[in-house]
Amino acid sequence: MKIYAYGIIDSHHRLEEPIAGLYGKVIYNVSYRDIAVAVSELNEETKKIIDACILEHEKVVERLMIKFTVLPMRFLTVLNTREELLSMVEFYYEDFKDNLARLHNKVEFGIKVIWPADTIKKRITDAYHKTIRVSLPTEPPGKIFLEEKFKKYIIDKEFQEEADRCVIVVDDYFNKIAVEKKLKRLQTESLLLNASYLVDKDRQNEFSQAFEQLKNASSELKFLFSGPWPCYNFVTLTKGPAPVDYFNPGDILDRLLKPQEQ
Amino acid sequence: MVMERIIETDSPEAFIEEIEKVQDVLPKRIDANPKNVEKGLARLVLTLIELIRKLLEKQAMRRVAGGSLSDEEIEKVGLTLLKLENKMKELKEIFGLKDEELNLNLGPLGDLI
Repeated sequence: MKIYAYGIIDSHHRLEEPIAGLYGKVIYNVSYRDIAVAVSELNEETKKIIDACILEHEKVVERLMIKFTVLPMRFLTVLNTREELLSMVEFYYEDFKDNLARLHNKVEFGIKVIWPADTIKKRITDAYHKTIRVSLPTEPPGKIFLEEKFKKYIIDKEFQEEADRCVIVVDDYFNKIAVEKKLKRLQTESLLLNASYLVDKDRQNEFSQAFEQLKNASSELKFLFSGPWPCYNFVTLTKGPAPVDYFNPGDILDRLLKPQEQ
Repeated sequence: MVMERIIETDSPEAFIEEIEKVQDVLPKRIDANPKNVEKGLARLVLTLIELIRKLLEKQAMRRVAGGSLSDEEIEKVGLTLLKLENKMKELKEIFGLKDEELNLNLGPLGDLI
């Protein structure tokens, strides 16, 4: 019998209300000193846990969040034995305590921004052609090749700089409200920004209003706003990489967003 | 008190497309098994060559931008990079590899390609 872990919580007391986990199994605590891991038993093979279960994982974390501060664990965190689980908690205990204190009363919001990459590239390319002499076909092949590469290099550089400027403008709307942030810029040419912001629970409305202001001010950009979420992207472990990466799931919110949008 | 979850966008299809692109950038590991070990290894080696080629190209661009190359040097560097690029195309064709398969996640520096 394996153990499926949902998150670390700031209490070692037994859960008062029954919560159903994956495959209807009851969630219980495995406590270590003054904290605990919320888990359920798992009969299924890990490979058989389907993507749809990600919603159940998320629901459990949200139920836990009502009463506790939670360090949400990666979807599909499975441990072989109770001893393995306890040894992981013992190893990271100080880190978990620091994170539980830091993330107390905090939630996460996601902001994704698409910009008109083709239009911006065309604008930069047109400006480039106005200022730079284009090499003639009669010139030596090495020179023509290098000049073509140089043109691409300059256009890409200007494209990146334009993205930097635009990200600063977007981020400025949230910077003063959020306590921490993680910004991923240009994950694709069109996805200008994929940002996660950590926000105090009592400033959530302020954060949403900032988004409304941004949306009204930018006609060229497309936005996807989501939250509040559990703090999936803000658990930081300082004791070196875990043998298995239990936290910072990276794409969990993207995976959660997709079925709800379709 | 936690407010109710909001998921708001005017362009769900556009975001789904971009999210899928991000998730599909590359397989997380070299897929080497007895049936395709040659291709798996070729992919690894060509990825490293591509990294070095890109670094050389970037260095050349910096020198062009700095104006420190003579006409003769420009021709020489250009021809070298041209031949390198053509050779890479040839090797990719031989092993049936696409550009996006020769990618590396360079951590904070982003992806190679």
